Amino acid sequence: MIKVKHLRKVYRTGKEKVRALDDISLELGKGEFCCIVGASGSGKSTLLNQLAGLEKPTRGSVTIDGENISEMNENQLAAFRQKKLGFVFQSYNLLPTMTALENVALPLMFKGVPRKKREKLAKEQLKKMGLGKRVRHKPTEMSGGQQQRVGIARAFVGKPAVIFADEPTGNLDSHTTVQVMNAILELIREYQITFVMVTHERDLAVCADRIITLRDGKVLRDERIEHPQKAYILPEGEQDSDLDDHSWDEEPDKKKTDTTVELIGQIGQTVHRAKTVQESQNNPNEGNSKGEQGK
Amino acid sequence: MKISDLLSLSFENLRRRKGRTILTIIGVVVGTCSIVVMVSLGIAMNVGFDEMISEWGDLTQIQVYNWTGNTEVPKLDDEMVKTLASIEHVKVATPLYRPQYLNGQLFAGKNDRYQAYAEILGIYPEAAQELEYQLVSGKYLTEASTSGKKLPVLVGQYTGYSFTDTKKRGDSAYRWQGQTDARGNPLDPFVDVEKDKIYFKTYKNEENDEQLSYELDVVGVMLEDYKKGYITSQGVLMDLDLIKKLEKEYMRANGIKDANYDKQGYSEIYVKVDDVDNVEQVEKAIKEYGYETYSMSSERENMQEQSRMIQLILGGLGAVSLFVAALSIANTMTMAIYERTREIGVMKVLGCKLGKIRQMFLLEAGMIGFVGGLVGIIVSYLLSFVLNYFGPMLQGAIMMLPMYGSKMSVIPLWLAALGLLFSTAIGVVSGIMPANRAVKISALEAIRHE
Repeated sequence: MIKVKHLRKVYRTGKEKVRALDDISLELGKGEFCCIVGASGSGKSTLLNQLAGLEKPTRGSVTIDGENISEMNENQLAAFRQKKLGFVFQSYNLLPTMTALENVALPLMFKGVPRKKREKLAKEQLKKMGLGKRVRHKPTEMSGGQQQRVGIARAFVGKPAVIFADEPTGNLDSHTTVQVMNAILELIREYQITFVMVTHERDLAVCADRIITLRDGKVLRDERIEHPQKAYILPEGEQDSDLDDHSWDEEPDKKKTDTTVELIGQIGQTVHRAKTVQESQNNPNEGNSKGEQGK
Repeated sequence: MKISDLLSLSFENLRRRKGRTILTIIGVVVGTCSIVVMVSLGIAMNVGFDEMISEWGDLTQIQVYNWTGNTEVPKLDDEMVKTLASIEHVKVATPLYRPQYLNGQLFAGKNDRYQAYAEILGIYPEAAQELEYQLVSGKYLTEASTSGKKLPVLVGQYTGYSFTDTKKRGDSAYRWQGQTDARGNPLDPFVDVEKDKIYFKTYKNEENDEQLSYELDVVGVMLEDYKKGYITSQGVLMDLDLIKKLEKEYMRANGIKDANYDKQGYSEIYVKVDDVDNVEQVEKAIKEYGYETYSMSSERENMQEQSRMIQLILGGLGAVSLFVAALSIANTMTMAIYERTREIGVMKVLGCKLGKIRQMFLLEAGMIGFVGGLVGIIVSYLLSFVLNYFGPMLQGAIMMLPMYGSKMSVIPLWLAALGLLFSTAIGVVSGIMPANRAVKISALEAIRHE
């Protein structure tokens, strides 16, 4: 699916040259979930940007689905992204003026899909992400986890061949990280999408088929995992009592029509959750029982 | 990406920055308004000139003179008149001949009780219609009607009123238009030109000279029109050949001799042109023969020249404020791009083509221009109405106010359309630079942008 040949990227800062990527060659198969990990400054984001055609490599080439994207101009790249690529960003990058539905439908709009059809597709995708009731909400009216799920829906709505994700859970707490990661896993398995994710949390990589570790712009390790975890669960010590708390997905209580009451309730919950996380870290054994009370 | 999507995206972007958009639009409104209203003042001035001039006379008529005894100028005889008539766009050329020697008076009633001093002019019979002398009754002179004993003539609408009663004195000897009796009923003239017999009788120079007498045959009555001259009011129009014949008979009867009579040309002829716009061209062609000319059109030219200058100055003043509006559009769009850098980047990453991004910004700028122009034109019409309504009052107070006709500001449809087109174009043009800037934003940089 993705072929990388002798990829090199050199940044010039004044007279100094920084080799961000140094002769990287890779090959990723269809439907493969690949995690790129490494310390900060190891070049993992740079690699992702090269793979996605957001930056031109200094040397070498990236071929996706048989097309050499390193040789494309900006318009060809845009057309290519429309057809083949999806993106999930660390900071969600939703358009603040648009509703969840419009945000998800945006890539389809660029493709020229008629409004009715694209809104139907976007709605279906949002339902899959458990946001069926939030389609008319603006990003500012949603939590980080919800926003990222909108972002994921946007990446998947066009059923691209490859999706790139740059620290998709970087801005999320551990609880929502679980939700978001599992949502992604479900979708890439369902659609057989090649998924390339950059993360600095090695824990997240346990679900991947492949983990590529970078150091100083070079591939340090390229591991294949024969039987990756089907779903992501928080590693030991980070157990969150609220893992099964689906209150964010649920429709607000019909009796509570006052949105302020609802909002205060949500804030209360969040505060409480934060507390229990702290407490559970201090005293892991007691975490479960206290968390149940918070429901 | 569909046009409708592009439109709604652009519209949404403008809507969400309502305050700034509205301020920018107001700028365009003011700009459009000032340019449209300024130009409308100039147009009203032109319309006023035309109103004024057309009251003075016929715009498509040229008077040609040959008063100068200059021998280099060809004689303005019948032959020459024909030549002038053959110039392109000339409908007709004819003298309005005032006999030098013929002296006489009109008489009507029993024992010539009613007398009138009426002006009698000679014209080519077919020319009366071409010169647009309208008839209230009867028909025009024809070539054939010159034979026979009676003199076929066209008379002015109120020629009847020129007769006076010789048996009465003071006011009762006269009748005039609009005169009423004690009860308020209108009074007819002494002579009904269409029914009563009217004679033209010559004066006798000497006691034993022969007095000639002719009966008039009124074939038509002309509608009074001061633009055409007094002849349409109380004059008598006759076949040119006939009037010359009368003049010769008179000269013979009174022993007047003029060796040059047949050789002399006309001192003044009238040329009618098919359209106002061709008058200048025809006039120039006539002048090339060496004749002096006069037309309302040349007057009009002069006045329009003036008003063009004034329009140019006024329009220029208006243009300055539209230019300022253009700057503010450019500024608004540039600001928008700084604010939306990240958004533009996201769009690029999601596969929005560069052309579409450019179009989106141009469309936004164009929309500002269009909406501003539209509102500006509506406001201009309102202002124009107010100016026309209060203009006459203001004019009394301020002598400087340019008002020549009945209106102070005229906005024709083409000006409105042009204003709208111009403001939209200004919008799009001032959006070009910001749009190019948006296109150049690197997708990656934009996403990193915090």
